[in-house]
Amino acid sequence: ITLQLFFSFFKTLVGKEIAVELKNDVVLTGTLHSVDQYLNIKLTNVSVVNENRYPQLTALKNCFIRGSVVRYVQINPSDVDTELLQDATRKENSSEITAATTSSSVEVKS
Amino acid sequence: MASTLSELTNKSITLLTCDGRLITGILLGYDQLQNLILKNSYEKVYSMDAPMEKVELGLFVVRGDNVAVISEVTATSTNGDREEEDEDVRAEPIPPIVQNVT
Repeated sequence: ITLQLFFSFFKTLVGKEIAVELKNDVVLTGTLHSVDQYLNIKLTNVSVVNENRYPQLTALKNCFIRGSVVRYVQINPSDVDTELLQDATRKENSSEITAATTSSSVEVKS
Repeated sequence: MASTLSELTNKSITLLTCDGRLITGILLGYDQLQNLILKNSYEKVYSMDAPMEKVELGLFVVRGDNVAVISEVTATSTNGDREEEDEDVRAEPIPPIVQNVT
């Protein structure tokens, strides 16, 4: 069962400015060009936050970022409907087969 | 909507590996796992004590697990002038990607 929720969520952010923090602490900002099912991210118009620390990366313009190396994706709050996102995650969690695996109570909203 | 590397084939790219290395080369091929084949590749080694060093690698295959970021190298960033500027750049190494810390 692949989690398509965040894939769908990122698709709504295409064209928006985001900041991607990688697991090596490098932060890249740019425009979200595309995303795929593995949450690999393609950014255009990239700039490296804290360029003085990483002058080796100044030539970066468009990049493909492997999903597995992303730590955080920072999004402008105005680009996100957090209510909708919360609802969607709640629905996703109640429809997954979590009953057998979770020990804490699961709130199911109908 | 597919985020593929097809647009980058036969182009010069710079690859940031998970251990913090920067490899530049022409992308000959790739697969879904981001395994890559690079031609005419070289590593750009930066340090605080010495100018940028280029290590020739030639035809290189990189396992997808080790790929962090792939960026297109544009003409303006590899022309004579910029190349010379780049050689004098001193920098701390890029930290490695830390995964699955226990």
